[in-house]
Parts: sequence; C-alpha cells; structure tokens
Amino acid sequence: MIVRDDLVEAHRLSLAHVASPGARLTAARRVQIAKVAHDAYLAVEPSPPWVRPFDDPALDVAYRLARHAGTITEQWYEQIITEGMHPLDWVEIVGVVIATIPPVAFARAAGVTVPGLPAPIAGEPTGREATELAPAKLNWVPVAAPADKVASVVQALSALPDEWDNLWRLAGAQYMSDRQMDDPLWNRGTLSRPQMELVAARLSLIRECFF
Amino acid sequence: MLSWSSNKSGSPADIDAIAESERDAGVPHGAELIAFTDAVAGVAEEALVKARQALVACAGETFMIDAAAVVANFEMMTRVADGTGARFSEEGADHRAAISEKLHISGFTSAR
Repeated sequence: MIVRDDLVEAHRLSLAHVASPGARLTAARRVQIAKVAHDAYLAVEPSPPWVRPFDDPALDVAYRLARHAGTITEQWYEQIITEGMHPLDWVEIVGVVIATIPPVAFARAAGVTVPGLPAPIAGEPTGREATELAPAKLNWVPVAAPADKVASVVQALSALPDEWDNLWRLAGAQYMSDRQMDDPLWNRGTLSRPQMELVAARLSLIRECFF
Repeated sequence: MLSWSSNKSGSPADIDAIAESERDAGVPHGAELIAFTDAVAGVAEEALVKARQALVACAGETFMIDAAAVVANFEMMTRVADGTGARFSEEGADHRAAISEKLHISGFTSAR
C-alpha cells in the first residue's frame, strides 16, 4: 500500500513534535500524555467518561479528550483549572493529544501498522508562548491576542505557536490547507470535496461534536 | 461545508443522510464512505476490515487512503473543538440552527 509522502511526513513530524520539549511540559511528560491518548483511542472497552482513571489531572484530561471528547464541558474545564492546572498546560495537553491521535487513527483506518511513540528528547520546556494572550468569547481557553478575530477552531491553540503549527500542518496533509478550503471544488483527484465533507460530517456526528 | 461544496459541484447532497447510515447522501460512493467512517469510529476490527475492502473495491486503494486521512483529520478537529470549548460566532447562526435541527444534534453535550 502506497501512502502519499506528504501525509507520511506530516504524521512523522507530528509524533516527533510530541516527543520534543513543549512550551510548558518536558518531552517525557508529553510522551506520557501521548501514551494515555494512544491507548485510550484504541481501547476496546474504555472507562466511562465520568471516571478519572489516573488520579493525575493531565493524564485524566488526555484520557477524556482522546476517548470521550464530546462529553467535555466548560464546567469540567473550570474544575480542572480550579484544582491547579494552568490553562496553558490544558492547551498543551490538547496539542499533544491531537498530535498523537491522527497518525494512529489513520493507520488503523487504512490497515497499516499503528505507529508507536518515539523516545522523549531531553531538554527543558521551551517557554514559547504567544507574545500576548487574551481571554476568548469563542473558546474556553486563552488565545493569542487579539481574540475572536478568526474562527474558534483557528484560534483554539494559538496561545502555543508550536502546537498551532503542528495542527495546521496535519490538516494540510490530511484534508486541505485553509487556502484550498475556500474553493468548494478543490480536491486531490481522489475524493471530491462533497465526499470529503460527507466523511467529515459523519465522523463529527458519531463523535457528538456539535461544532 | 457538505451543503456548500455539493451545491457548487452541481449535485446537492442529501444532508439528512449524514444522520442515517443506510443512505448515500446522493454522493458517489457515499454509502461506502459512511460505512467506512462508522467502522473507523467503532471498535470492531472485523467490521473495519469489511468496510475498508468495500471502499477499495468500489473506488480503489488511493481513494481509501485519502478517505482514511480525512477521518484522521476529523478525529483531530473534533478534539480541538471539544477540548478548547470552540463556539460558533453569531454570524450564520440561523443557518447552523436549521442544520442542527435537521440532524438532531442540539442536545449534544458539546453544543455550546
């Protein structure tokens, strides 16, 4: 089976990104979070969404996001933040989970070997955050200032530029770039745009993602 | 996006079919794409193998690979939206409300 080079590369870079020091978390911690997301995504009999299996807020967030994302509420977000998690740690955990799941989901879907996680790279967190942060009306999490000038999914990870970059690199290879999105007929010569949107809509419905 | 892109392509899709696994939405290979997406979202490996084979049989391996990539993308985007509390802006709210009603999704926990 031949997989497009750009897709292979985007998935490789995403897992390498997971195993690199993040803005606030070490690579070892990121890989620990990624392992939870990887296993939760593939679990045949997962714990129900209201169970916090790890007694570790970061891992519990990763687990719920990986397996029961549609059940996450603003109230639960606030609860975790009240327990002591910094909002940007939450954003980084989201970034790690969404960097981990696509290569795994793709491999399982296409019937190729599901990739493991690379070993963590030594080093301190980079501290790379948006120059200025702002509270958003269109998201729970803080975003790069000025807030709410672009769509909520676009600004969602903007507080942490490295997570944002990885997200949109993946989207460009798996689906299309934001520029291509403006053309309702753009396609790669395989799925037509309506076929892509049918898959997108059906998956979002099954995952109970209102957005 | 399905409505917009299918209208522009000259073959308006049947949006109701998104919520019903038995239909094809008026999109070529729509039934096989829906079955494949459902199988990826499920846990039964046998069903996934069957759905993958059916998609390859009707549209080819390269097509299936790109369909798998789109599924992976929305396994990602749904988690970005749900993990950051993404909401719609007020612009276009009426159109989205009509689609929500059509698909019966207003009751989702993730509806914000």
